Amino acid sequence: MEGLFTDYDTGGFFDEAHDDDGSARSHYQALIAQVGGFPPAELDRREKLRDEAFRTAGITFTVYGETEGVERTFPMDLVPRLIPADEWKTVEAGLAQRVTVLNRFLDDLYNGERAAVRDGIVPWWLIASSDGFCREAAGIPVPHGARCLVAGVDIVRDGNGDYCVLEDNLRNPSGISYVLENRQAMTRVLPKVFANHRVRPVDHYGLSLLHALQSVAPPSASDDPTVVVLTPGVFNSAYFEHAFLARQMGVELVEGRDLVVDDHTVAMRTTQGMKRVDVIYRRIDDDFLDPVVFRPDSTLGVPGLMAAARAQTVTIANAVGNGVADDKAVYAYVPDLIRYYTGEEPILPNIETYLLWEPEQRAHVLDRLDQLVIKPVAEAGGYGVVIGPKATDAELAECRAQIEADPRNYIAQEVVQLSRHPTLVDDHMEGRHIDLRPFVLCGDKVEVIPGGLTRVALTKGSLIVNSSQGGGSKDTWVLAPEDA
Amino acid sequence: MRFDIRYRLAFEYRNVVRHSQNELRACPLTDDHQMLLSYRVASSPMARVHGFTDYWGTRVDAYGIREPHVAVEIVAESAVETRQRPLTVASPSMAQLADPEFTDIHAEFLAPTRHTERGERTVACAAEIRARGEIDVVSLVLDIHRRVHRSVTYESGSTDIGVTPDDVLRGGRGVCQDYAHLAVALCRELGVPARYVSGYFFAADDATGAAVVGDSAEVQTHAWFEAAIPGAGWLALDPTNALAVGERHVAIGRGRDYDDVPPIRGVYAGAAAATLDAGVEMRLLSTASSSPDQPLPLHQQVQQQQ
Repeated sequence: MEGLFTDYDTGGFFDEAHDDDGSARSHYQALIAQVGGFPPAELDRREKLRDEAFRTAGITFTVYGETEGVERTFPMDLVPRLIPADEWKTVEAGLAQRVTVLNRFLDDLYNGERAAVRDGIVPWWLIASSDGFCREAAGIPVPHGARCLVAGVDIVRDGNGDYCVLEDNLRNPSGISYVLENRQAMTRVLPKVFANHRVRPVDHYGLSLLHALQSVAPPSASDDPTVVVLTPGVFNSAYFEHAFLARQMGVELVEGRDLVVDDHTVAMRTTQGMKRVDVIYRRIDDDFLDPVVFRPDSTLGVPGLMAAARAQTVTIANAVGNGVADDKAVYAYVPDLIRYYTGEEPILPNIETYLLWEPEQRAHVLDRLDQLVIKPVAEAGGYGVVIGPKATDAELAECRAQIEADPRNYIAQEVVQLSRHPTLVDDHMEGRHIDLRPFVLCGDKVEVIPGGLTRVALTKGSLIVNSSQGGGSKDTWVLAPEDA
Repeated sequence: MRFDIRYRLAFEYRNVVRHSQNELRACPLTDDHQMLLSYRVASSPMARVHGFTDYWGTRVDAYGIREPHVAVEIVAESAVETRQRPLTVASPSMAQLADPEFTDIHAEFLAPTRHTERGERTVACAAEIRARGEIDVVSLVLDIHRRVHRSVTYESGSTDIGVTPDDVLRGGRGVCQDYAHLAVALCRELGVPARYVSGYFFAADDATGAAVVGDSAEVQTHAWFEAAIPGAGWLALDPTNALAVGERHVAIGRGRDYDDVPPIRGVYAGAAAATLDAGVEMRLLSTASSSPDQPLPLHQQVQQQQ
């Protein structure tokens, strides 16, 4: 093994780049040969190039739970992750299948006959008790039923290298800006390596997103519907991304105060006067969208917006109320929903999940709490997750008490030995755990963006990859088929 | 009975308001017990009203006023026919409340909500009722109904939205929504699915307690509750008036609590304090009513005007 990869140890995990016997997988051979040979000075130079690229782009994210508003750059590892064409074909089909079904399920719940509930696929009480189930959204149609206009489905590879779904993010999944910026940076940092691989592009994302948003414009809109990005403002952790996406699409970035509802239509203030808005790509939570219907103290939203959506003069994307389908307890039913709506077997399986209101499953979980992962059902971003094998006795005791007090609010899952990927640590490569958040666009058609955001747990041995919890990222290269 | 109902809300602001946006829930339901004959709503300053049916089946009128104004008047006029409800003859046992199918269907009406939270006093009060050892659900619900009526003294303006059932038990005073919320909270605590009903109540009586045709009454919107009886639908009771809900009650909507069926909800932009003058005028047009066993008479479809 060359240079940086000398003494690389897969540690008994599934390694993305190496076989069990330690030899490079065929699709990684060229990369390892090129990158592995970098002398220290060269490595240094490339790292500086990278840091410069990100500083120029101004990429930061805010970490909650630390000192207020800490802004950091999002660290991208120098070694990209590679996904061969045949593997991606399966993942892509699995994602399209899953998101299509989640859209049908949501449309069934909010604007249909609730067939999946009626036919006993999902218990009604589970829906009714989900924080994400938004009764205020009932009866509001969405063109094409495209309720998850942007979906971010987190997938991981287990100890055997099999891809499975960890969770669905159907409200306001973020991270796509890092995918695009990572790619931009990578073409500058490793131009030759990049050129040597047939990497499928991602830079059309802005156009694809705009197309998807325009395709869900209400019937009354013109042929060239006006789209805006609605942000809570500069203090939001993902503000950078909101501004980035508006720029990529060439549309206005607005805050609630820039929009008014008059006679059940939405307009934005511009320097040329009021201009009608047809589609709002909103990056603010349901609860803050409209103080008439939701939190009356919210100043982030637009009074009358929900009535306008109901009057079908404007489309809100992602649709209001998607949280019920990414509730982690509802997640457990997604494979059955796929079978129910399509008659097909799920292409991407779930992780084995225990439902804690079932007395037998709960007892089993409480017996093995130190071996399982416990997650609150409504949180995103890794908040509130307890990893049994790493938790202290006190943490486990608290977790047990919480489960016993409110079993509906938690799920338990087997610990997945996430696959590892060579990652630059000081002057050599070490294996670090990774996951993948691909992005799926649904407008008049479903489009899976090749790759997605590979997140890497930079701390040795850590399984937490969330950007908000000290993770980093990797550029993700989906390789084009040989014959294409 | 047939009623004409005129619900008027008048907001006055101390300073100019640039924009107000509201949702009104004032339109009587059509269901097994009543039929809406006509409905129209108008605002001044004028606004285009967008009417829709919400998740709970309630007609909602959304409207916004985007011109400087210091007062808004909104008037919802309806005509409705009500009929007597059959007495509940079922006597399902308490055990039937635990049927998983029954609890699944009624999941939303079993969980505590903001206005029906299970405080200490409420839980203790439920325990006392439980200790009486009622063996059938109807008797239990009637117990709750009587207990709530006895525990609370009606006092107009004594409470605001936001008081809990515990507050009401402690203070012993309240208005109709407090009676309804307390009854709902006690039902749920005892495993009986229960829902909150917003509506109108014709309170005018003659000396004998009978309603007289042609009489009109100045009232306020009213609230009561309904409890799900296994195998026998919903039992509707009005603990404020210690009455079974009947022909003089006109329902607007049902939900988990007040928040699902507020008569008016909205926001306005402008640095101004508001006063609200609200009133309901109900006129009894006819005491004729169809028997519960016969279908309601057919009426010409009435265009709902906006």
